[in-house]
This record gives sequence, C-alpha cells and structure tokens, in this order.
Amino acid sequence: MKRAVRVLAGARPRPLPALALVLTLVAGGFAAWTGQDWYRAAHDDRAAYAAQRDAALAAGEQAVQNLNTLDHRDLDRGLDLWESSTAGELHDQLASGRDEFAEQVKAAKTVTTARVLSGAVTELDDRAGRARVLVALRVTVRASDGAKTDKDSRMLGELTRTGGRWKLSALGQAPVGGTPAG
Amino acid sequence: MTGRTAEPATEAADDDGGELLAGTRGTSRRGLRRLLLVGTAAVLVLGGCGFLHAAHRLNSAPSAENRALTDTEATARVAGEVGNALARVFSYTPDGTAAAERSARTVLDGRAARQYDVLFDRVRGDVAEQRVTLSTRAVRTGVVELDGDRARLLVFLDQTSRRGTDAATTAPAQLTVTARLRDDRWRIVDITAR
Repeated sequence: MKRAVRVLAGARPRPLPALALVLTLVAGGFAAWTGQDWYRAAHDDRAAYAAQRDAALAAGEQAVQNLNTLDHRDLDRGLDLWESSTAGELHDQLASGRDEFAEQVKAAKTVTTARVLSGAVTELDDRAGRARVLVALRVTVRASDGAKTDKDSRMLGELTRTGGRWKLSALGQAPVGGTPAG
Repeated sequence: MTGRTAEPATEAADDDGGELLAGTRGTSRRGLRRLLLVGTAAVLVLGGCGFLHAAHRLNSAPSAENRALTDTEATARVAGEVGNALARVFSYTPDGTAAAERSARTVLDGRAARQYDVLFDRVRGDVAEQRVTLSTRAVRTGVVELDGDRARLLVFLDQTSRRGTDAATTAPAQLTVTARLRDDRWRIVDITAR
C-alpha cells in the first residue's frame, strides 16, 4: 500500500492540496444537503398519511368484495374470510349470525360474486386508526337453476385499524333519497 | 481530518495546510494525504447521490404524489365543485333545459361535453312534451386521485324525476368523474356511469 501511494504521488508533478481540500468540502456540503433532503422525505408526515390512505382503500375494497362473495359449496372458507376481513361490531354480528346464515345459503344454493368498480376514501384519522370509504360494487348472484342476476350497489364502509391492518367495522348501502352527508 | 488519523502520531501536530503547501517534506505523505482527501470527497459525492436517489424515490412514490385527503383544502374544493357541477347540469324543469345546458358549457369539457350534447339532443324534446322534472343531488363524493390539475372522483348521486303529475321517484347513480383544473376552475372532462 505504502509503495503504491509513493509511486502514485511521485508520478505527479506537484500536488494541489488546497484544491483537494476545497473539493472535499464541497462534496461534504453536497452530502449534507442531500442527506437532509432525504431525511425530510423519509420523515414526511404527509407521505405516511398518504400510505395509510392507500392501505385503507385497498383493504376496504378487498373487504367489501369479500363480504359480497359467497359460494354455497364452500361456505366455511367464505365465512372465514368474512370474519377475517372485519373487526368490532360488524365482526361480532357476522360471527353470531354465522350458523343461521350458512343454513339459509345452503338451502338457497346460491353463488354470489362481487367486483369492485371504484372506491375512494372520504375520511381518514391516521392516529385513531379510523377511515370511511365509498365503494361502487357489482354483485352477481347465480341461483341454483343457473339464472344470473347483476346488481349494482353503492356501499359506505367504516374501517378500523387493528394490529396494523385495516378491517371493516361497519358496512351498509348508501341510502337513496336520504339526507346528504359528505 | 481523515488524513490526520492516517499520519504517524508524532507528526500529527503540524498536520495542516501550511505544511502541505510548503512542500518541504517527502512526497509520500503529501500524496497519501491528497489521496485520502480525494477518497473522502468521492465517498461524500457517492453518498450524496445515494441520498438524492432515495429522496427522489420517496417523493415520487405514487401514494405520495396523490394529494387526495393529504391536501384537505384542495380535496374539499374539487369534491365540492364537481358535486355542484353534476347537480347543476343534471337538473332541469319542463320549461327547459337551457339553464342546465348553460351550466354544462362552463363546467364540462372534452369528452364529457360531447357526451352531454348527445344526451341532451335526445331528451330535450321529451322533457317539454312529457313535462319531466329532474333534480340531481350529489350525496357522497370521494376523491380517488388528486394530482395538481387532475382529479378522479367517485360520486354517488340521487336523481329524483317526475313525469307530469306522477309521483316523484328517486334513483341512485354512481359515477366516476375525471376533472381538470383550468383557469382556476375544476371542469369535468369525463363521466363514466358505474
């Protein structure tokens, strides 16, 4: 190493240490400036809030779709998914009414599938872990005789964050002809 | 500073720029010092570039660029203006669609304006003939995306219509709307029924 340095230094006519010093200082300034820039971006509250908004919307759309999907041939998996997509009061309601509902669907022999057409978050309380979403949905019900009916519905969902995951805590149709809100 | 640690301890005291400029000592130490300075500068520049890249990636993430809800003022504004615009252009009385069509000229643009013209060419006659009243209300408006002068919204509408002396009926409608900010006003450029 020492020899390599000596050879390198000797090959040059005269060192320019002042220039090297200035270059180093400029480089230091550059690193400090960009580092600060990065730190700000990484600790931007707005970015964290935006990420929560997107997480809430994705979870909300998926949960609404899950709760509008059920196959009478695979009830247990469908209803398990209902329970894992929900929290709070909605979860308790679904869990307590599960057996009764399963009987009804088994008797009706229906297959229900849903597709989310569009969704939006209307409210987000990042700290409390609460959000409200609008979801436009197309629900397709296939009856036991093979007849298929499509129904468009518009849902209002309330989400609660539990253990870092957003889950539906309330879900209902947006009322028609009611009082406007939001 | 980095040079100092690499020097033998006995020479650390006079290790400064003056001694370097004088150039009376051997070239090896000078070279080593210069090499260290250049190396430090290179590391700092590389680190800076890394920071720049990381910051850019964070700032240009799709979720960060979407200002829906993060910019509450702009979000409320676009939701309000689009909701009002839809209510105005889809409300009319048997006495004419002129007011609605006048509103449409100021708040619709592009494809939405063309769709609207086609629709109203069709209904204009019926409205007068069958004494149709339509009143539209935006009951829920959600901003899906907001990026500077472009926005995408999901709007739930209630449309109450009455034909002659029949009872009024209210029907729901769900629209996704694309809007653009032009001349400091949000204009609807595309409407898709959901």
